[in-house]
Parts: sequence; structure tokens; C-alpha cells
Amino acid sequence: MSTVSTTRAPARTVRTTDPRPRRSKRRPVRERQWPAYVFLSPWMIGAVVLTLVPMAVSLYLSFTDYNLFDPPHWVGLRNYREMLTEDPRYWRSVGTTMLYVVVAVPLKLGLALGVAMLLKSLSRGRGFYRSAFYAPSLLGASMSIALVWKALFNDGGTVAGVLDAVGIHTGGWVGNPHLAVYGVVLLTVWQFGAPMVIFLAGLQQISPDLYEAAALDGAGRRRQFMSITVPMLSPVVFFNLVLEVINSFQVFTPAFAISGGDGGPADSTMFYTLYLYERGFTASHMGYAAAMAWLLLIAVGAITLILFRTSRSWVFYADEEGR
Amino acid sequence: MVSTTHAAVGVSRPRDKGGRPPRPSRRAVLAVAAVGLSTALTGTLSACSAASGDTSGITLRFSWWGNDDRAARTEKAIRLFEKEHPGVTVRTSNGDFTSYLQKLATQAAGGGVPDVVQLDYRQISQYAGGKAIMPLDGVIEDRTIRTSDMDKDFLRTGTYQGRQFALPMGRGITGYAYDSAVYRQAGIPTPQPSWTWQDWAKANKKIAALGMKSPDGRHFTGANDGGGNEDVFETWLRGRGKNLYADQTKLGFTEDDLTAFWSFLNTLREEGAIAQARDTVQAKSTETSPIGRRLGAADFTWDAPFPGYTALLGENIHFAPVPTTGGHQGTYFKPSMLLGIGSRSKHPKEAAQLIDFLLNDPRAGDILGFSRSTPPNRKIAARVAKTLEGAEREIYDYAQTMEKYGLDIPPTAPPPGDLAIQTAFKRIHQRMIYGMATPREAAREFIDEANRELRS
Repeated sequence: MSTVSTTRAPARTVRTTDPRPRRSKRRPVRERQWPAYVFLSPWMIGAVVLTLVPMAVSLYLSFTDYNLFDPPHWVGLRNYREMLTEDPRYWRSVGTTMLYVVVAVPLKLGLALGVAMLLKSLSRGRGFYRSAFYAPSLLGASMSIALVWKALFNDGGTVAGVLDAVGIHTGGWVGNPHLAVYGVVLLTVWQFGAPMVIFLAGLQQISPDLYEAAALDGAGRRRQFMSITVPMLSPVVFFNLVLEVINSFQVFTPAFAISGGDGGPADSTMFYTLYLYERGFTASHMGYAAAMAWLLLIAVGAITLILFRTSRSWVFYADEEGR
Repeated sequence: MVSTTHAAVGVSRPRDKGGRPPRPSRRAVLAVAAVGLSTALTGTLSACSAASGDTSGITLRFSWWGNDDRAARTEKAIRLFEKEHPGVTVRTSNGDFTSYLQKLATQAAGGGVPDVVQLDYRQISQYAGGKAIMPLDGVIEDRTIRTSDMDKDFLRTGTYQGRQFALPMGRGITGYAYDSAVYRQAGIPTPQPSWTWQDWAKANKKIAALGMKSPDGRHFTGANDGGGNEDVFETWLRGRGKNLYADQTKLGFTEDDLTAFWSFLNTLREEGAIAQARDTVQAKSTETSPIGRRLGAADFTWDAPFPGYTALLGENIHFAPVPTTGGHQGTYFKPSMLLGIGSRSKHPKEAAQLIDFLLNDPRAGDILGFSRSTPPNRKIAARVAKTLEGAEREIYDYAQTMEKYGLDIPPTAPPPGDLAIQTAFKRIHQRMIYGMATPREAAREFIDEANRELRS
């Protein structure tokens, strides 16, 4: 389902800037559409071969006991049933992932918005700071940064040393099942640059007239923030929120690198995708892993849908004003 | 994901020259969401295997895992083989263990297992059962591969359902690396092959009572906590006359056995006699183990890595047997790795010749040395042993001593699920030492998970 909508996405996006009302009926199909498809074909072939076909195969495998060696046997809903009713690790991985999403996403977005507002008020050097804060987003997804992170938070590492000095004895975060997940959270939050840049762009597009008018009417900074910045920025907040939620559910690399690939200690960093990988490639239960991938898709899809539903009550689109 | 973000913003930007701010619309967000979601699935099944090219003559593919020393020695032996078999080219590929396993699994799925392939003990049943490697009974009967100088019981480790599918390349044995200086100081006698788990517990308490400190000021304990190590548990079990697996689908022990093992270690840990939880979870190599960090006096390990301990910690480190139950030794000679032939090999005869050369040719034996533990061919092992010294001499002598002491026959290859079960063992032990489960709860959880793994 997702691929179909992605195919159309660019066209729709362009249409939203069309001066006509959005809900107008689609224009009649034009003649000579084929040149468009010729130009699209490299992408479309890729989408079919690399996305649609693997997705279909994955859906099929999720109903089998495929183990990489023997031909897959149809087992119906067994993988799904086992996952939902018999596997305590599955639910633990769901819990760990939810905890991560619920903690990391608001922290990251809050920090991104805060820094973006500081940068906006900066009169000089904004370009420099913007790049400086953005840099971790480029680096953060890499294996090497995750390894640096691991060294920082390990027993005998810098963080443990500093905390020891102020009397908090953690013995390193990486080896402590109660703290390990927060090390990953901090690594994610540190990469707040990407949403920050988007926030900054959004902030700069709010007309200064609005603030001026509000100031004349006697609104303080706090009031201005709540009554102008928040509503005017809400589409950007929404955009960042959806992106971060989807990405966070799929977090893999930092947990893989920091735990050495086993989601440890004691499964404390065993995120959903890491567990999926372990089931598929270490334990050779490809069918089970495929079933997990589909449930993740459905769950993230559902959460995204809920976000969209609720967004109607809090996201304000300036271009929908007259509707 | 950063790129996706930009793509979406970029799409709307060119049309915005008129001044409308490029604020993402609802649909733009939806589009990006869809792209983000689809990556959830495509990541899963995108690994692929490398294929080999064809040249004139015969090309054999040979893959193994191991460190640089082993790679250099293996390459050298192969050059010698090529020289003696004109027209045969051997293409090699190697990597570290974990990525090797994953790569091989993917190759097997695509029917591309190399002609000659190094396998772990745990892979035998999976690869043999999945018809990824071929039975070798024929080439053994016609003496293309000679097995007369190898131990019959040991050869059994490469069988599956009564047929020989792989041949061991080296035989390893578990042991116990300990600091003899600390043992002397605490007044503990040199561990003998018959020393018991009770002796071991007492020794650890004595060492802890010395009140020594590690370089970073931590409490110095008697040993690492072997509770997360499936090999240690197996030795413990076999000392009591049981096995890890009754057969390919059944465990050979009960919840009570595992509870007893974990409770025993749990008490010692709580008393401070063996390594603490935070040190156990980070012990992933010789350097990060308690003994390697000078936090403890001993470590459960294997013979092949033992020379690494003396290299790191000095000549005081010696190699002792794993403790017994009433003198009944549970350790056994285990294939450290095996050689098999890919079932779709186009040149099974030449592949068999290469295997025979690596296992039985004295010159190959000299080149390979003990890089894969003790060679299974007795004559070659004895020949190579003459040149050994130091730690390598010690592990060779250790193997001789253990053989004379008398060990039970080794079990057959563990079921395919053992790779996952082994990591479960470590993980559930971690839950226990961090107080997230009692020994009995942990044992029950492990048994449930292992049974589920064996059933599927």
C-alpha cells in the first residue's frame, strides 16, 4: 500500500501549491502520458524489483517456516500467533521500543525547537551554528559514532568517570540494563539538527507582522509563543513528529553497535528491529522475522494514521483558511 | 531518513517562487510517511551472496573464518596444493566468525555454498539436514580422504543421521586459565583433573578473602562467572552424567538441573567470590574478561585462545581442567571447526583431495600448525607438537593429560537451534545476575525458550 502512495506523492505535493481548491476533481487524463512513464521507468523498475517484489515475498514468507535452508512450508498464522501469545521477548522488544519512542522523540523535538528559536533570534553567525548543530545528524547514523558513544558510556568511560566524581556510581551505562537504553536515547537526541533546520525554516516564514501586531496589542513573549508561534508552526511540528516517530520505531544501528549486536545486556537494548534481525539472521527464522516486519509496518501505519486523525484538531494550515 | 526529509521539502520548493512559504502540507507529510514506512520492509531481505566466476581448468572455492595468522598459514598451504595439482585453482574467502556465518547462511539459501567450506560444530545438522553439504562416505571409502589416523569417536562429531558430512580440522577442549601466583598466595593447591566444583568454590572464597584490589581499586575476585557460558554448563552437566541435548529435538536436562547450577554460582557471586554482574556483561574477549582487567584470578576458556592469556598477562597464567563433580570430568574434545563439501559442487573429487591434503599431508600439517587447535590426525599432531613451546606446549600437554585421565565420548553435533539457544543462555543469565529473575524463574524461561527453538 505504501508504494502506491509514494508513486503519486510528488504529483500530489505539487498540486497542493496549485491555486485551485484542493478538493477539485482530478483533471481528465491527458493524452500522451507515456513519455512521463519512460522517464519514470528507471525508478519504477527499481521500485518493482527492489521494493514491491521483496515485499510480496516477505508477506508470503511470513506465513511459512522458512529457515534459509529448507524450502518454506506454509504454516498459516503460526508465526503471528507465536509472536503475540508465546514469545515474551517479542513483547519486551515492543516495550523497549515504545519506551524509546516516547522518551526520545519529545526530547529530540523539544531540543530542536528550542535551539531553532535561539538561532532565529541570533543576528550573527546563524549559518555557522546551524551547520554546527546539524553536523551530528549527518554523522550520527554511522557505525563509528555509535562506537565512540559506546566508549563514552562504557565502564571506565568518560561519562561513568564524570558521574563517579559527583558521587553517582553507575559502573558504565552500556553494561547496565537499567541505563543502557538511555545511552541510545541520548545518541538519538544529539542528532536533533535535522528537525532543527526544518523548524528554523518554519520559524523564519512566520510573518513578522503577526508578532508586531501582537506586541502592539500588549502580548508578552510567552503569549506570542503560544498564540502565534505554536499555531503557525504546527504543520512543521506535525511533519517532524511523524518523521521522527516512524524513524524511531525503526531504530537499529546505534543499538546494534552499542550492544555489540546482541541487544544486551539482558535484552535491555533489544529494539524491535534488532530482535527482527536476530530472529532472521542469527536464529534463521526468516518466516518469523518477516511476520515481525509486517506487524511493524501495520503498527507504525496505524500510529501514523492516529497522528493524522488527531492532527485535525491541532495542526493549523494557513492555506486552508478559507475552507 | 535525512535524505527523505530533504526530498519532500525540495519537491515543493521550486513551485514556491511566488512567495508562499514552503510549509509542508498534510499530503507532503503523508507522502514522506509512506516512504519511511516502506523502508521498514525492504531492509529485511536485501542481503545477497557473491557468486564466483569460471576460469579454464578447475576452480575450487574454499571459505573459512579466522584471524590473520590462520589466514596466512591457510593461504600458504593452499599454494602448495595448487602446485601439486596443476589445473586446479583455489579461490579463498574468509572473514570473522559472525559475519562469516551470516554470509554462508545467505549463500546456502541461494544454493551457492562453496566447494570446500569450514563449518562450526553447530552448523553441521542444519547444513547436512538442509542438504547444503554432501555426505562424504563415498570419498572416505575410496580413500580420497583418509581417516585412519583419526580418532573414531572424534570423527563422530561430523556425522548427521549416521552419515559423515564433515571432518573435524582441529580438536579443542575447554579449560581454566588461572593465575598461579594468586593461587599460591591464597594457599590453594594446583588444580588437578579431578578437582571438584566444591574445591573451586572454596578457592574463590579464599582469593576473595585476600582483600586484593584491581588497578582501578575494585574488589578482586576468584574467577569469572561461568553462568552465562553454555560450554561451562555443559561441562558441569556432563560431570553429572547428563547432556545438553537428549537428541535433535529435546533437551537433555531439566529445570532443576539448571536451577541448581545457577543458584550455586549466584550465591558465590552475591558473596563476592566471583565476578560481579557489571563485569560479567562486558566480558567479551580475553582483554575484557575479569582476569584480563585484573579484577579476577581465573577465566573459563578454550585451549586455542589460551596463548593469548599468557601473552597479555604473563607467565604466571596456567591452564587447568574445568572442575568436576566427584572426579567425573565433563569436558570433551570438541571439533573447533569442520570441513565439508558444498552439495552443488561441480568438482567434488578435487574438493575431497583438498580436504585430504589439509588434514593428512605432513607438509600442510607443518604449515598450519596449531592454528585450528590440535590437528585431528594423530601423527601430524605428534610431529607438530615437537616444535611447540611455552603456552602452546602447555595446551598440548594438557590435552594429553586429559586424554589419559579419561573422558566420556563426545556428544553428536548439537541441533541447529543451538546457535540461538547459546545466546539465550547468556542473555537469561544476565537477567538473573541483574536481579530481574530468580535462578528458578530464569531456568524456566530458558527451558521454555529452548523448547520453542527446538520445536521450530
